[in-house]
Amino acid sequence: MSTTKSKFLCLFRFPVGAPQKQSSPEEMQAQYAAWTNWMAKFKEELIPGGPLKPGGAVTRGGNVTDGPYIEAKEVIASYATIETTSLARATEIINECPIAAYPDYSVEIREMGYGKP
Amino acid sequence: MIAPNPAPALPEHYFRHESGRLVSVLSRRFGVHRVELCEDAVQTALLRAVQSWPQRGLPDDTSAWLYRVAFNEVLGALRRERRTDASVDVEDAGLVAAEVSADEAAYLEHEVRDDQLRMLFVCANPGIPRESQIVFALKILCGFSTEEIALRLFQSNEAIYKRLQRARSALRERIEALEQPEIGELASRLPAVLEILYLLFTEGYSSAQPDVLIRHELCEEAIRLGRLLDEHPVGATPETAALLALMYLDAARFDSRVDGAGGLLLLEEQDRSRWDRDLIGVGVSYLARAARGEVFSRYHAEAAIAAEHCLARSYAETRWNEIARLYEMLDRIVPSPIHTLNRSIAIAEWQGPDAGLALLEAINPPPWLLGYYLWDATLGELYRRRGNVERATTHLTRALAAAPTHAEQALLRRRLEACNLPAFREGGSK
Repeated sequence: MSTTKSKFLCLFRFPVGAPQKQSSPEEMQAQYAAWTNWMAKFKEELIPGGPLKPGGAVTRGGNVTDGPYIEAKEVIASYATIETTSLARATEIINECPIAAYPDYSVEIREMGYGKP
Repeated sequence: MIAPNPAPALPEHYFRHESGRLVSVLSRRFGVHRVELCEDAVQTALLRAVQSWPQRGLPDDTSAWLYRVAFNEVLGALRRERRTDASVDVEDAGLVAAEVSADEAAYLEHEVRDDQLRMLFVCANPGIPRESQIVFALKILCGFSTEEIALRLFQSNEAIYKRLQRARSALRERIEALEQPEIGELASRLPAVLEILYLLFTEGYSSAQPDVLIRHELCEEAIRLGRLLDEHPVGATPETAALLALMYLDAARFDSRVDGAGGLLLLEEQDRSRWDRDLIGVGVSYLARAARGEVFSRYHAEAAIAAEHCLARSYAETRWNEIARLYEMLDRIVPSPIHTLNRSIAIAEWQGPDAGLALLEAINPPPWLLGYYLWDATLGELYRRRGNVERATTHLTRALAAAPTHAEQALLRRRLEACNLPAFREGGSK
């Protein structure tokens, strides 16, 4: 059975200004383990992206402004790409992502390519 | 859930221990008065590792990677500070020297060991109250967060936070003495360092925190730091060896003290086959190393007592006369009615409950001892053995009311029930 695969862009968002709880070294080691396990589990479908620095620029009608480029409330912290069969499957993968443990974080999943809204 | 291709695993507590190492090394480089800046830099380095390692894989030398990131982080912060605060210029020379050495692979194992040891001596600064010293050591050298320390020492986050602040402000006031402390100069603090480790261990060993792992960790840390101390000429004294002996011999019996349901077991009830023979072996070898020189410290006495228990084949075959003698020696080194209390138990095993009670009746207990649940528990037990049910019940009931933890309460309740068994009542005196 051959299934066509699509690429999904996953944007990891967190709220601006929310008090970020500092993790202890022991907790961070647990987070590291959770992330590596997640990546290993879906390594066929997951294409690691990377972190994004805060700030940036937005151009609108030729005018370049500083951020915030999405909304004042949120910042995109990092991104990843998933290459899989469906949006449902991509959502499944993201649902197992350790990001779920961070209450204020959210992930936007968008299929890449042309299409009608 | 098992990952199909397990991620490169880091050794247990790697981040926590690495954090202690890095803060120690950086604080030596940049000065102990900048310890908070160093802590923040290490925090940032670990955070960056969490973000980058899962995606890019582990660097060849994880410790060097973390050191580089944290080091640059401190440098960056100092440069920003220098731009806004002219007074920082005074230290330019030091900063340049630091920058130059940043290019070297300056993460030598023996150097790191020395730095951690130096930090341990800094924690023992006489200007810091003892309870703050312990908290500070757990934070700086063991990499525990405020919350993690609070959980382990049964205190509120606020209390731990205050103790940390007290330690930090004491250090700030004594900057000049601590800039580049020579290990030789710090040797005079060895007794305080040993006491910190002793208290750290005791905290982990005797607390009845139901989470065994958490208690284990404090004991492990005390042993880890004790070994560090023992590996350096300045710390390798007979007292250090005796303290390590004591810790290993007690650790050998750690797990056998609780039953399957988490209840406390008396020494008499413990399954001696569960005692860790390897740890006992290590403890005995440290004890042998401690037996040199002219010193017989409290750690020698306590380790010898622990060894008597570990090496006795059964409860009945324990050399109680020897243990009673050792408690007497201990009491001469550090006089405390608690030692007399323990000696009375050994004497009761050796010569009967009357001899034990005679010893307790001869002392004039200070008020705090009268409120101490083990005082009543011991009296209750000795009266029970003598067949005096009334007095036994009175003391055990009082002990039960004062016992600090559920496990200890359950144990006392068990004793109290044994005391009031019909068979016992009919049998009278044993």
